[in-house]
Amino acid sequence: MNYVLHLSIYLGIYCIAALSLNIIVGYCGLLTMAHAAYFAIGSYVYAITTTRFLWTPLQAASMAVGASVVLSVVVSLAPRRFKRDSFVLISLAVQVIVFSVIANWFEPMTPPGTLRNLTNGPFGISGVLRPSIFGISLEPLARFAALAVGAALVFAVVLHFLLNSPWGRLLKASRDDELVARGLGKNVDLARIQAFAFACGSVAFAGALYASYVGYIDPSTASLDHSILMLSLVIVGGTGNIRGPLAGAAVLLLLPEALRTARIDDAVAASVRLLIFGVLLVVMMHLRPQGLLGEYRVR
Amino acid sequence: MASTVSRGHGANAVSGGFVLRAEGLHKAFGGQIILSGTSVALRAGEIVLLRGENGSGKTTLLNILTGYLRPDVGQIFVNGGSAGGSFTFPRRWWETISPFAQFTPGRMTRAGVSRTWQDIRLFPSQTLLDNVAVAVPNQQGERPSRLLLRPLGAARQEARVRDVAGSALARVGLSGYVNASADRVSLGQAKRAAFVRAVETGARILLLDEPLAGLDDNGVSDILSVLSDLAKTRGLTLVIVEHLFNIPRVLDLATAVWTLRDGLVAVEEPKAVRERMKVEVGHGLSEWLRRSSGLASTAETQRLRGGGAISFFSKAGLEPGEVVLEVDGLLVSRRGRAIMGDQGPDGQLRGLSFKLRRGEIAVLEAQNAWGKTTLLESLVGVLPVTRGRIVLDGIDVTRLEPWARASLGLSMLQSRRNVFDDLTVRESFQVAKVETIPDGLEAFSSRRVSNLSGGEKQRVALACALGMRRLRVALLDEPFSAFDRASMIAAVAQTERSLGDAAVLIAVPAGWAPTQRKERL
Repeated sequence: MNYVLHLSIYLGIYCIAALSLNIIVGYCGLLTMAHAAYFAIGSYVYAITTTRFLWTPLQAASMAVGASVVLSVVVSLAPRRFKRDSFVLISLAVQVIVFSVIANWFEPMTPPGTLRNLTNGPFGISGVLRPSIFGISLEPLARFAALAVGAALVFAVVLHFLLNSPWGRLLKASRDDELVARGLGKNVDLARIQAFAFACGSVAFAGALYASYVGYIDPSTASLDHSILMLSLVIVGGTGNIRGPLAGAAVLLLLPEALRTARIDDAVAASVRLLIFGVLLVVMMHLRPQGLLGEYRVR
Repeated sequence: MASTVSRGHGANAVSGGFVLRAEGLHKAFGGQIILSGTSVALRAGEIVLLRGENGSGKTTLLNILTGYLRPDVGQIFVNGGSAGGSFTFPRRWWETISPFAQFTPGRMTRAGVSRTWQDIRLFPSQTLLDNVAVAVPNQQGERPSRLLLRPLGAARQEARVRDVAGSALARVGLSGYVNASADRVSLGQAKRAAFVRAVETGARILLLDEPLAGLDDNGVSDILSVLSDLAKTRGLTLVIVEHLFNIPRVLDLATAVWTLRDGLVAVEEPKAVRERMKVEVGHGLSEWLRRSSGLASTAETQRLRGGGAISFFSKAGLEPGEVVLEVDGLLVSRRGRAIMGDQGPDGQLRGLSFKLRRGEIAVLEAQNAWGKTTLLESLVGVLPVTRGRIVLDGIDVTRLEPWARASLGLSMLQSRRNVFDDLTVRESFQVAKVETIPDGLEAFSSRRVSNLSGGEKQRVALACALGMRRLRVALLDEPFSAFDRASMIAAVAQTERSLGDAAVLIAVPAGWAPTQRKERL
């Protein structure tokens, strides 16, 4: 039972990550490699503020979202000048910078969360407690699972409402033909900044959930591999609607678990999983480049 | 130079009753002067035809008047209420960063100046209704904060916006297509939706870039009646950019003609222009081809299935030679439906058959959506054929790859996106294996294709299609639509020169090529 709850929590967290990334990839038409960086900012801000400053979970989560939104606004001024390939490189730069800062803002013999040792470098931050909200402790796994799955559902509903509104229509129009959208008198830059802020704030919330569930975070949450995993969820599932990223998260998170039942020798299991994952991506690109349930094909 | 941004009444004062006025516009690209002191003034309710030779700067002027391009020097006045204003160029540095003094397409749109594009540019992933609804200004629902905090207000406004968009589409005969995806509608429907989208921005002045390009006779009539209706009911002022063969149709509507020549605009009466056009254009492409070249006076015509026709011309005194291209029962279908060919009374799909001989020019004319481009693309091997045979010089090429067909002497000119923008003209010719560069194009050889005008690009593309080594058959999809008279003469001469060893098949929309015919069996 605990195994199922654990999987539901992971699924909830990564559904939020995939849905938020879909706003940037599927609705803005921009490929970003920095989503894990915002996820990690959410995790670290939550972990530091709760363990070092003893903030309440709501205060800490708000701060995590706020920090990510501020950074995203600064960075998302870039798409105005950088398009397609160069935007990918800009996002890669953000990813590398955030990872380096997290991995290196460290001084031995100094408590984590201080100015001299903000992130505790490669040793990470441990002791993040599961929160209590309105007096209800989320320590039992079932309650935390309810929070993660509930948050993902609420997020999916809000996103569905936002992306099927005139705002979503404007984002899609700007994605399809930016020059024409500008020519219709639309403030394309503002819509994109809003979309980035919303996406990065949401993934930071997912990061905060992750930190409070696992109890320990290290720089691997901000790694490029993590960004690529999130991107794979969206690309395999499909972009441009709500169903695609949900399907991608379900397939890519549950597939490795399904392979566990295949009784593959432990020594080669990891390699076999990677092999199957790689083959799946290549087959998808050939047969269904728009993803399992996607509407928009990322170029 | 003094630089000002005056707003509201200030703009009215300077514009002197005109809705849009430009004075002393200069524009040069890389040392080549396009506009040299051009001045134009547009009164409310006018319908202006903007014409000019290829490279004369029609598109440049249209881009400047709509905010897509800045002139090097000059002034633009827009009389658009509080959103109107005047813009003086060159801009001072603070005007380039001030949000209130920006000269952008969005600013011009808010002042009531909107445009349409030659290649239409609807948002392909959205329905026609969404394409139009997105254009409506000041939507609360475009602000996420409003959406989340006052969802009901935003929803009510959205319902009104969709009503407005739906009835605007219905007025141009698209009531049955509001939920059709923009990439699934016909050319004429897409063009009508694009006009509606431009108008729903709140436009009072609409600039149209080649609105009739690619349309058949019926399509042209439809679009002109839609434009005339929009101009009357919405009180629009129109500026229409068009090319040679479509100009007489626009003249039926126009109240003034702006002719761009040597960087300056001359204003003419439509009546005087019409008289001259009768001499220049005559009765369509076929007659023009015949008159401007040594082609035989009467063409043989073969009726094709589905309402198309091919007229075969040959040069006077030159008998057509052997068959170079034979098409036998060619059918292209998707999911059991013919997209080229037709369905007989017995429900059977039937294909197309015709033969093309060396030294012939064949003009294929058919209505839009008949499958002209499909035919040409399947002949060249880009599209797979369902049934039938294509024989080139006695060799069955039906299953050959496009490159293999090209190596046997088959070339094609696509109707759009037919050049490599990032190459220079010389590199383009090298890629296309063109041995001799046609007259008049040597001067361009070191320029990048992206810096050429629409007509110049088309000449380069045509030269690439016709100049191929060991050419046997050239397939040209609407090759003349972007040409002025001089370019047409050059293009026809070039086409004729290639006839010694080859044949040419030209696809044009129906209504372009009425001529005397005798039936070919």
